[in-house]
Amino acid sequence: MDVAVGATVPARPGSAGVGKTDSAARRWQAPAAIVCALVMVAATVEIVLDASLEHSPLVPLQPSIATWLRALGGERLGYRVFLIALLAFTLAYGVLLALVNAHARARTRARAADDHDASPTGVAPTAEPGTIADRGVLGERTLIRWAIGLVALLNLLVFIGPILLSTDVFSYIAYARMGVVHGIDPYTNGPTAIVHDPVFRYVGHDWLTVATAYGPVYTLISYPLGLIGVVGAVWGMKVYALIASAVTLMLTWRVARRRGHDRVFALLAVGGNPLYVIYGLGGAHNDLIMLALMMGAVALTLADREASAGAAVVAGALVKATVAVMLPFMVLARRRLTPVLGALAALIAGGIAGYLAFGIHGIDVVSALNRDSAFVSIDSFPNELAHLVGKPGVFPVDHDLLKAALVLILVHLAYRTWRGYDWVAASGWALLAISVTSTWLLAWYILWPLPLAVVTRDRRLLAATLFVQGLFVIHQTAPLLVPVK
Amino acid sequence: MSRVRLIETTLLVLIGLLLAAATINDVVRQAHVNQRLIADLSTWRRYTGHDYVNISIDQETLGADSGREILCGNTSPGPPGARTQVCLEIWGPVVTGVRSVYGGWYLPPYTEDLHAKRYGCFGAAIAAGLCPSPPGRLPSSGRPAGRAHGSVQPGSGP
Repeated sequence: MDVAVGATVPARPGSAGVGKTDSAARRWQAPAAIVCALVMVAATVEIVLDASLEHSPLVPLQPSIATWLRALGGERLGYRVFLIALLAFTLAYGVLLALVNAHARARTRARAADDHDASPTGVAPTAEPGTIADRGVLGERTLIRWAIGLVALLNLLVFIGPILLSTDVFSYIAYARMGVVHGIDPYTNGPTAIVHDPVFRYVGHDWLTVATAYGPVYTLISYPLGLIGVVGAVWGMKVYALIASAVTLMLTWRVARRRGHDRVFALLAVGGNPLYVIYGLGGAHNDLIMLALMMGAVALTLADREASAGAAVVAGALVKATVAVMLPFMVLARRRLTPVLGALAALIAGGIAGYLAFGIHGIDVVSALNRDSAFVSIDSFPNELAHLVGKPGVFPVDHDLLKAALVLILVHLAYRTWRGYDWVAASGWALLAISVTSTWLLAWYILWPLPLAVVTRDRRLLAATLFVQGLFVIHQTAPLLVPVK
Repeated sequence: MSRVRLIETTLLVLIGLLLAAATINDVVRQAHVNQRLIADLSTWRRYTGHDYVNISIDQETLGADSGREILCGNTSPGPPGARTQVCLEIWGPVVTGVRSVYGGWYLPPYTEDLHAKRYGCFGAAIAAGLCPSPPGRLPSSGRPAGRAHGSVQPGSGP
């Protein structure tokens, strides 16, 4: 990372001490950032190489797609190595974000100071070595190259490796093969309907009898992959995830710039996020496609293409329904019907396509949401809170209380948006509230608000999102404290 | 800072503290559960006399959060689940690194622990009706290759 190193900032009258402190701080920022980047890459390499050896409790049973990596050594991925790598990645990510944030602030201060120093005639003084350069302005291009390179490397490292931490991708493939190979409706049958299909042995035990919960748009785009064999389909899903990630990051970059935020910080906060890289991309989750459409909606709104923005939200919801929560905030903020019309058009088009392809079950996303909301995962916050108050777990009445709390939060956010609060931030808060109040929480669910959080002025959203993610990571560490062998 | 924003921030901090407390509490709780599972694995190994690594642990069937587990593993060397499996019901306090076995059953090779597949129930599993077949019918390989160790016997209590 290029942050002016080794030079001295000329002191302004009365600010000699501050100048020296800034310079000293800046001297170690670049090496510290490089160390952080190396730790993030090393942790990813360690996880990918170990996971390529054989399946383990952290690496689902899967066809051999990364056997060539086995020659590079490593050992079967166990909890200890994985958790140490994850903690190191998370720590390095946090420090890197702090350094990039400090750099962005210094640059902003430098620009403000230079504007202030402009001569009374309106002519800016000539930039001298040791002034603007020291504040990092001239290193912007290098910094951008470093950030893009780091994020691309992390994405590619995970792309070439095996599927990590989740069997979901095999459920996606099973649903696709049910439809195109066996002629079975994935909206009314679970993968047990294809027990003799080669993908069946890879599907997660909990999902064998469960019909798909994903929207018809996602099911339709997954169908072509059902025709190319299980290995081809796994690579196809990985390509989908990689493309969706690239689109999400590109749109995050553009939206951050349009909204006056630091692009490099936004890019690193999303693309270098440990949960995004290891869990999201590592598992080739379709949440990434939803995120791409979500950020597409934000970008389209900024370009005043509101109908298209509304359509993008609906397209995202027809991949994974959760993102539909954005639409009311978008409409309330714009106070126009255009996004609603776009959303309606997309809903009608998607609904017809879904109905023609899958019948009424293909467009009944509400019942799928209701079914999934009854599940309980050990990492969910309601489950943790239940344990805190001495209960063994979440009871049906708790689901009702959580839904009521979520409704209250959404109503408050709607009111705030109506009164002028940033609708993008409100959407982010809503997605964060959904994941925190859900009894079925998985790592990739707490990625939903992240791209929105880095493009909003309300920094509380980013802090809250990263805090929740940090708690999730901490919650994984029990096997590190007392390993079960 | 506006009044609304101040209230929101205060609430967020309080919720954050609550979630942090719940998370730390759960990590500590899970660490204690892991200590119990370590004792369960030792119990299974001592009871059967097999020092196997691949032993499945079921924390749900006898009641989630009940502290009662079912551990299943092969009765002879082979890949996980590839041989006749013996499942043990284990609960009670940890004494000298092990807990008590109260009962159990057998499963055919490559079979999940489903009620219809169990046979040869013994101990508390008979009374609880956890096997569909008549009690006492043993697989051709006989009882688990190991023997009861100390207080760890079928149906024994603490």
